[in-house]
Amino acid sequence: MSSPTAPSNASSGAPSNAGPDRPLSLIDSDVHNGLQSPTELLPYLSRYWAEAVRRHGLAIPGAGYSSPVGVQRQDARPVGEEGGPGSSPAFMVKDHLDRYGIDYALLTGSGMLSLSLHPDPDYANALSSAINEWTAAKWLGFSPRFRGSIIINHSDPLHAAGEIRKWAGHPQISQVLMASGTNRLFGQRFFHPIYEAAAEAGLPVAIHPGSEGAGTAPNITPAGRPTRYMEWHNILPINYMANVNSLVCEGVFVKFPALKFVAIEGGIAWLPHLMWRMDKNYKALRSQTPWLSELPSHYIRQHLYVTTQPIEEPENPQHILQIFEMIGAPGRILFSSDYPHWDFDNPRMALPPLGREWKERILWRNASELYNLKAPATPAVSEVPATGSASAKTA
Amino acid sequence: MPLHPVCPAAELNPGGRKLVTIGRIEIGVFNVAGGFHAYRNICPHAGAPVCLGRITGTSLPSPVYEYAYGREGCILRCPWHGWEFDLETGEHLVDPEVRLKKFPIEVGKAGGGAEGVPCTSHENEALEKFPVEIQDGVIYVRLSS
Repeated sequence: MSSPTAPSNASSGAPSNAGPDRPLSLIDSDVHNGLQSPTELLPYLSRYWAEAVRRHGLAIPGAGYSSPVGVQRQDARPVGEEGGPGSSPAFMVKDHLDRYGIDYALLTGSGMLSLSLHPDPDYANALSSAINEWTAAKWLGFSPRFRGSIIINHSDPLHAAGEIRKWAGHPQISQVLMASGTNRLFGQRFFHPIYEAAAEAGLPVAIHPGSEGAGTAPNITPAGRPTRYMEWHNILPINYMANVNSLVCEGVFVKFPALKFVAIEGGIAWLPHLMWRMDKNYKALRSQTPWLSELPSHYIRQHLYVTTQPIEEPENPQHILQIFEMIGAPGRILFSSDYPHWDFDNPRMALPPLGREWKERILWRNASELYNLKAPATPAVSEVPATGSASAKTA
Repeated sequence: MPLHPVCPAAELNPGGRKLVTIGRIEIGVFNVAGGFHAYRNICPHAGAPVCLGRITGTSLPSPVYEYAYGREGCILRCPWHGWEFDLETGEHLVDPEVRLKKFPIEVGKAGGGAEGVPCTSHENEALEKFPVEIQDGVIYVRLSS
């Protein structure tokens, strides 16, 4: 298998003197890149696991809910290519990055994260390593505007830490990513090798939903299993609340002061409630967490980022801005679109009217600081000849 | 400020507490390792009779997953919500701006009582502390009127 390296052939046509001196304008922190076919991973799997995948498919557990609109946007299906939405780097650049003037897209995989909830940790380890090899070769190698996530099997934190250390030096790797579905709360010491490796590498750790109730993960709610996709999707934040609470109280951010945590696609409006409740309890119960020298909300404001999609849509748009303010906006919030999924947020329309500073921070500046993306990787889209087809020549 | 007797000093040993009512004000007098402290019996947080809370120690600041128990007898834990107050200063352990209302206390002519914390308003969420004195073996609390 190849060792992690920077892309040697910039097939997207990015100029070698990348980093033109125009300002950043938009960073999308949740873009789903998928497999054209499971066979794409075979070259990156050992003979044993490749045979298993040939016979049984990827067998990544699902939560078992189906959406009446489907998860993928049907209009995002690559034209003239095999594979479903999100499976073609060239089409994604044209259909999403160029369309909206996105400087960088944080790739978060597609239907892959639930590998952490597969009952066999050896298979999940092999799969995570294969996915990372494939991402680097097919996607990061295609365009410097793609930034990769190291997808880990959180059920084997030592293997995960090894995977983080293996990829940490890759110039287009921007974060560690794992399923938010878990049968242990993420603050617990079981997971600390992951945070140690991520902090050492200077990479944020992100979670993404979808695996709640899948495989070895428990029901999304402790009161039972929702009946339908809508009900399951409505209540996903309950898992995020539980894990943010755990990360803070277990002292993860005290033990790893450089660590940043990104709660992707888990909503935002629940955060003030959690912060206030945690702070109130800390005033009475701090003796159980003597390692916390500040109010719990302080650690959330210092270490947690949330992404915008699916943005809450109150009847009065001002109310969401008030919520942003409560959690420490204009920091802490990263724009995300979730392309090419059904509940996609259009960067031009999703957010309520924002002042200049807020707009800059949410659309690119916060992500630029978090992911250390200083300048655009390629010239402005408008300077690039438009391409008429979905070929690999996009820029 | 007139002096109000609390009890003979011999009756209030280290670790002990005595509640007295002076006029309409309830005051808790504590002997913390030989030092006397008097606080108004109202928690600045929610109005609980704070002086009836447990006199205890607490977990000291420590690294993650380590517990260091200390300050035994120096912490007053409010009976309603469990807020911890430092009996020597009246300060809430989480936010020192939140204090018990402290009164000067005097033991005999030697004084020795803690200096009175200025009477703070309810918005400051402070417990009232009163000066305490001991004269002829009797503990007195000094009130402003």
